[in-house]
Amino acid sequence: MAAVAVSKDSLESDSDIHITLEDQQKINRFARQNAKWEELRDDLKHKKGDLQNLEDSSDDLLLVEDESAPIPFVVGEVFVHFNMEEAKEKLEEAKSKVKKDIESIEAECTNVKTIMSDLKTQLYAKFGNSINLEAEEE
Amino acid sequence: MASTAACESIEDSLKLSGKKSFAGIPEATFVEDVDAYMKDREGVESILRQLDEQHGKYKFMELNLLARKKKLKSQIPDIQKSLDMIQVLEAKKKTNELIETHFLLSDLLYSRAIIEPTDKVCLWLGANVMLEYTLEDAKALLEKNHETARKNLSQVHHDLDFLRDQMTTTEVNMARLYNWDVKRRQALNAK
Repeated sequence: MAAVAVSKDSLESDSDIHITLEDQQKINRFARQNAKWEELRDDLKHKKGDLQNLEDSSDDLLLVEDESAPIPFVVGEVFVHFNMEEAKEKLEEAKSKVKKDIESIEAECTNVKTIMSDLKTQLYAKFGNSINLEAEEE
Repeated sequence: MASTAACESIEDSLKLSGKKSFAGIPEATFVEDVDAYMKDREGVESILRQLDEQHGKYKFMELNLLARKKKLKSQIPDIQKSLDMIQVLEAKKKTNELIETHFLLSDLLYSRAIIEPTDKVCLWLGANVMLEYTLEDAKALLEKNHETARKNLSQVHHDLDFLRDQMTTTEVNMARLYNWDVKRRQALNAK
């Protein structure tokens, strides 16, 4: 989870410990962005896995020699038999959709990271060592 | 059932102790100045314990919200899959072809089936109820469900964000109070 800790063993001077409402709001916002970033990271991992599967399937499709054999294509929980042309089309459609999703997730990731590093600079400037804003490495 | 009852009683107790804001999540009071806050309160330990309890309650509510979020997140792709299927059926109906499928009989068993172009689909509505719809009606219903699920998911996100804010505020309050106490003791010992 987000690691936003104001140091409990801090023996710093008074000015560090005095936190204004604005600072609290910045800390809160940082925690929110951090949580969002972790979620986006998970989503991105799943989507990339999906894309890899689709790429593998289309590679396998190229290996099929018999052009007229029906290809069972997953729709939901059933397999629908399509001919080679339609199957290729469906795969391309699915691939482009996943690629678009990945792009939008990555754009949001960049956005969130910018906000986070911005807030980090501000908070470290004010609190120095009394605050820890690093993500816990698992 | 027990968990929702427990959640309600906790919400009630939180209602009495704090201000209410979103969906039963009480707002954590932000302490501007620790000195002024502690001036008329004795017993740092009891206050810390109170804050800790509040923190625990927030964590419990977070677990609930996360569980709801997970359920919604898994519902949305299911609805999407059904919508995809309807699209395929519509396309095939236009070309008037027979559809050959392998469909799920049980977890590890598929069976072959040949489907004629059809206008009707049956939708599982839950609670052991299945209704037959035309393709257009089914599509409209599924799209509506999709929208609702998405709206609920964004609402849960919203609540989670607010909850996290309150948790962070409580954590920061606890840390500041602890620091203030440590400093006070040092000052007392130094005298």
